[in-house]
Amino acid sequence: MLVKRPPTDRPVFGQTTGGEHINPSLQPDRAVSRILRKKDMDAFLESVKAFGSLYGPRQVGPNQYQLMPVGDVAPVSAECRRTILPPKKFLIPARDDLCHFSADTGYRAAEVYTGERVILFGLHACDIHALVTLDLVFNGKYPDPRYLARRQALAVIGFSGTAPDGNCFCHAMGTSHADRGFDLFLTDIGDEYLVRIGSSLGDDMMRARVDLFGQVEREHIDAYKERSDRRQTQFDDTVVEDLPQILELEHDSPIWRELSERCFGCGACAAVCPTCYCYDVVDLVGTDGITGRRVRQWDCCLFQNFAEMSGGFNPRPNRTDRIKHRYYHKQVHFVERFGRPSCVGCGRCVEACPAEISLKDVIAAIRGRSG
Amino acid sequence: MLAEKDIIYRADPHRPSPARLVGVQPLAPEHALFQFRFEDPKENERWTHRPGQFVMVSVVGTGEAPISICSSPSRRGVIELCVRNTGRVTSALHRLKEGAIVGLRGPYGNGYPVEKMKGQDILIVAGGLGMAPLRSLVWYVLDNRSDFGHVSLLYGTRTPEDVLFKGEIAGLVGRGDLETHLTVDKLVEDGQPWPHDVGVVTGLFKYVKDRVDPTRAYAAVTGPPIMYRFVLRELLALGFGKDRILMSLERRMKCGIGKCSHCAVGYKYTCIHGPIFTYWDAMNLPEMI
Amino acid sequence: MAKPRVGIFGLTSCAGDQLVVVNLEDELLDIVGAIDLRSFIMAASHPVEDEFDVALVEGSVVTGEDEERVKDIRAKSKLLGAIGTCAVWGGIPGALNHVGRNTLYQAVYGTEEDLFKAREARPLRDVVKVDFSLSGCPVEKHQLVQALLSLLHGDLPSFPTVPVCQDCRFKENVCLLKTKGQLCLGPVTAGGCLARCPSHNIGCEGCHGPLDEVNFAAEAALLEEKGLPRERIARVVRNFAHQADLARIM
Repeated sequence: MLVKRPPTDRPVFGQTTGGEHINPSLQPDRAVSRILRKKDMDAFLESVKAFGSLYGPRQVGPNQYQLMPVGDVAPVSAECRRTILPPKKFLIPARDDLCHFSADTGYRAAEVYTGERVILFGLHACDIHALVTLDLVFNGKYPDPRYLARRQALAVIGFSGTAPDGNCFCHAMGTSHADRGFDLFLTDIGDEYLVRIGSSLGDDMMRARVDLFGQVEREHIDAYKERSDRRQTQFDDTVVEDLPQILELEHDSPIWRELSERCFGCGACAAVCPTCYCYDVVDLVGTDGITGRRVRQWDCCLFQNFAEMSGGFNPRPNRTDRIKHRYYHKQVHFVERFGRPSCVGCGRCVEACPAEISLKDVIAAIRGRSG
Repeated sequence: MLAEKDIIYRADPHRPSPARLVGVQPLAPEHALFQFRFEDPKENERWTHRPGQFVMVSVVGTGEAPISICSSPSRRGVIELCVRNTGRVTSALHRLKEGAIVGLRGPYGNGYPVEKMKGQDILIVAGGLGMAPLRSLVWYVLDNRSDFGHVSLLYGTRTPEDVLFKGEIAGLVGRGDLETHLTVDKLVEDGQPWPHDVGVVTGLFKYVKDRVDPTRAYAAVTGPPIMYRFVLRELLALGFGKDRILMSLERRMKCGIGKCSHCAVGYKYTCIHGPIFTYWDAMNLPEMI
Repeated sequence: MAKPRVGIFGLTSCAGDQLVVVNLEDELLDIVGAIDLRSFIMAASHPVEDEFDVALVEGSVVTGEDEERVKDIRAKSKLLGAIGTCAVWGGIPGALNHVGRNTLYQAVYGTEEDLFKAREARPLRDVVKVDFSLSGCPVEKHQLVQALLSLLHGDLPSFPTVPVCQDCRFKENVCLLKTKGQLCLGPVTAGGCLARCPSHNIGCEGCHGPLDEVNFAAEAALLEEKGLPRERIARVVRNFAHQADLARIM
């Protein structure tokens, strides 16, 4: 007897979704990819607004973009390589109430996000990988419901249509392409976008304006492959394959001290990092002196007292220790804990650093022979 | 869109449960024993921990701090914390009166590997406040005494006044099933009654070294950083394997659940991979001691 | 429980921090109701000065009277808090400390006779023990309220020691230093202001004073690379915190 079940909500490109066990009549219109003409983009985005609050990159300065609500004017900025803040601002706000407290009854958890769906348009593959990386941290043995509520309300429309710049090193980090973590993913293949459908919701979004979408023809497949081949050559690749091992060997390299002489310790790199999640927690008493809020706010391991204990002992008292800790945490320790680095090569830290420190240069230096 | 579909919503692990301070006993200058019970009886029933684990304790409106549990899971009823008045939260704790409501969550951390320690000799070495997490282990071992081989406790403090749990420790001295030796760095005044050793804690090793078989023993060591250096050397000289020396580590913590990253040492988070680390772990982690 | 006895005092300063207290419209009544405000000349006559649980002191120590005054307040107070950048760092009165008081005197009054017994401006902690500090020129209203509420709760005020950049990044401001090459002391200055000036396209002048451990040398070198003269950088740095690591800048 055939097992009757609805079609899986996440077909995977190039694979069947369950083979012969699924009644073929239940997937009459299997959707993996579609074609959207560039001129139809604005109309499509307009229809997406029916699914939630739509955000997209908007230019706020020369080469500076923010993920902002999409108003009547489509903000879609094909030139946007990276937004100032990454999508994490939607998941772990810079300041967020964890609990409310009262002297008589103790703490109760603050409400989790119950607002409408937030649709992020224009995320590049690196940022999608970053979301999947944050999921690793905020799930685990102690899932964080505040994060997860916001995460569940997040829809992702990925976008690839920008050539990498000198600060991009996603290719080296293995994050230049995303196969999961999105509802829709648009790839610029010339006059059209190849739209990959990654979820049930993405499929609904496509079907809401099914008239705008065409079938994938041979020419589109060839155009995609041609683009893919071209893209391989656009990255000047930093080699990171065995970076954890090299970093372990260069733990005492003078490079770390030299770096600390240039670094201001301002924490801009961590604030803009799509996977930096360190946080501080403080209790703020209200004017009644009895009730108040417990607030979680972004913190940064480069700040001097980040690890300082109440007795005054600081395991990382100087900047050299802290810079090293930050690099090792992302490139070595995260690999040991989760099997991959937490860096996704988005280049934001390079772009944000007022001291002009580039992670790419640091990696190149650490791989160099002078050490 | 979530990468992992089957996420189970649970209560926010950041939310402390209301608990009441049911007893405070001064132990030594700036040190006191705090006894807590959850407001919800069901939570008291459910509560279980391993020796060496810690809780996050909140003084309402002041903030939260990690404190190791010093009561044994084999003695149920109240959760006991021995706290030194050293920072913002701990000094607020010391100001609390019996009956006050606090927040508690946990237990967190790995605790001592008591299953692996079964059938083995146990050498417990405590310095100063290091007695707090080890007290939990001492009573756990004594309450399950037949599970273990030879058990000894070496405890050093600065002066006789600084001995924590004085009455209890006095009761342990002379017990047939536990070999207890005490020492102080110095006596406060000459002629002070102190029928024990004077000198560093490593001076006590001479009493037990012939009774412990290091190849089938675990050493649990907790104390100030300076103590580790000498105790570790002594233990290695006795023939203890590096993975048979268990240390309890303290770090700044904000979440206790492996996220906020304040307690990260190397690739380990003190809160979830610790606070009990073997010397082998410690050797390979930067900034460990 | 008896209300905590509080005194608010000013040494050499513009009284701007005391003014912030008076201007706490929304919270003032709650706070004043919860404390026993014994001495606050700016707001009430007839101060009672015997003992204080908490003294908040504004201003830097410039004259002999300042020094005597703050020592006297210290002796009468259980806790003493430095409020405002003058009290915490020496502030603007110390901006020209490196020139020397005699020279300044001569330039301003045309005489070397020391009419005011003024010396180099010093922060409170150079003279008395300070239990907590709240910098800012003037102090931030929200931080002052939080500090007072912490004290009422029985805790010492405590604020994250993070640079101005942190809030600038939260707000997704375009970085003035990096993108526009403007003189901005954000990376080396204690935050708390919610990046007020950079959010209005004005480079941070460091009014909260430096963080405990800052890399002035690197920022000065960078600004010089961007074409800003060292003397100008040093002048801006000295404006609020004359003890900043000038030796390494100049």
